[in-house]
Amino acid sequence: MRSAFTVLIVGLVASLVAVGAASAADPRPEIALTIDKDQFQPAEIKVKANTPFTVVVTNKNAKPIEFESKDLRVEKVVPPGKTVKVLIRALKPGTYAFFDDFNKAATGKIVAE
Amino acid sequence: MGGTFVITLREGFEAALILGIVYTYLQKIGAQRHYHYATRGGLLGVLASIALGIVVTALSGPLLDLGPDVIGLAVIFVAVIVLTWHGYWMRQHARAMTGDVQKKIDEAQATHRMWVIGVIAFTGVFREGAETVLFMWGLLTQATSTSGWASALGAVLGLVMAASLGWAIFRGSRHVSLQRFFGVTSVFLLLLAAGMFSTGIGRLEVMGFLPGTPTAWDTTFLLDDHGILGGFLNGLIGYRARPTVLEAGSYLLYLVVAGTLLYRSGASSPRSTTPTGRVPAHAA
Repeated sequence: MRSAFTVLIVGLVASLVAVGAASAADPRPEIALTIDKDQFQPAEIKVKANTPFTVVVTNKNAKPIEFESKDLRVEKVVPPGKTVKVLIRALKPGTYAFFDDFNKAATGKIVAE
Repeated sequence: MGGTFVITLREGFEAALILGIVYTYLQKIGAQRHYHYATRGGLLGVLASIALGIVVTALSGPLLDLGPDVIGLAVIFVAVIVLTWHGYWMRQHARAMTGDVQKKIDEAQATHRMWVIGVIAFTGVFREGAETVLFMWGLLTQATSTSGWASALGAVLGLVMAASLGWAIFRGSRHVSLQRFFGVTSVFLLLLAAGMFSTGIGRLEVMGFLPGTPTAWDTTFLLDDHGILGGFLNGLIGYRARPTVLEAGSYLLYLVVAGTLLYRSGASSPRSTTPTGRVPAHAA
């Protein structure tokens, strides 16, 4: 099984390096998004169109949320009290809705312009 | 309850499919004594999924921002590599396996490294495992006590159902001839790997590491890939209800490149009596 682990570790390291190099070469704007008492703040995020960016989601609820967007094809669980980065691709001008998959009443949108 | 049932069934199906094929493969080549490679790989996949879920929940820091994304990507591409390798190997031996079958089997055991089986089992389980663990944990903490139990029960039933399907594949293909099994599963693994490759490329696209492309088609209204049937097809052949041009393109590209690699010499070989097995349902 030693060779198996070698393959896995080589794959992992290669991906780490690739993603690390890609993100170093391309410093993305980071946009903070907080959810507190089941409300996203801000509920509307404005971003520049055609530029990749990162949404930094902080969950101040006492329970986990899943930051999800069908338009952006993103879903990521954020444990209570934690902060998670969500990489978003360059967007064409338009409005992209997101919500908490565990509590669909909590919604917000990203407006690219 | 229905919701969690569908989730674990869908996520578990692909893992069960891969494990079913891998155990059948070991049984076919008379390598039952090597079952532990598949078992250990699968168990390690489960443990790694739970461990990653706990780590992400309990810790935080710069490594954990994107760490799970990176691990997810690495596992997908490692899975594509080992599945292609294994499919290629099976294809070679499906053609050669006429005549003295036992001799060929011994040769197979001698030449094919069994740890590849372990890696296939591990990536098959771990690929969706960590996300499923996190999602289920999140869902369960949301629920009030009564519906929480129903959700947990649904999740367990989904996993049991998925495992039963894997078992059915194992039992059902026991009497299929070795050559036919190799021929059919090599097609299967090709489609499975194409689906994974497309998923990996799609993730890179979603994160903005590859240029964004428009949606190629949207058949969600017809067959949602988050439903049971759509989910099966997703696990089986990589069906997507709403892929981008890049995802659909990379699926095709993989099929053409790997298909050429696997079948180029096979098409002209008069010894090739293997059915092409274009209908994957054969092995299910």
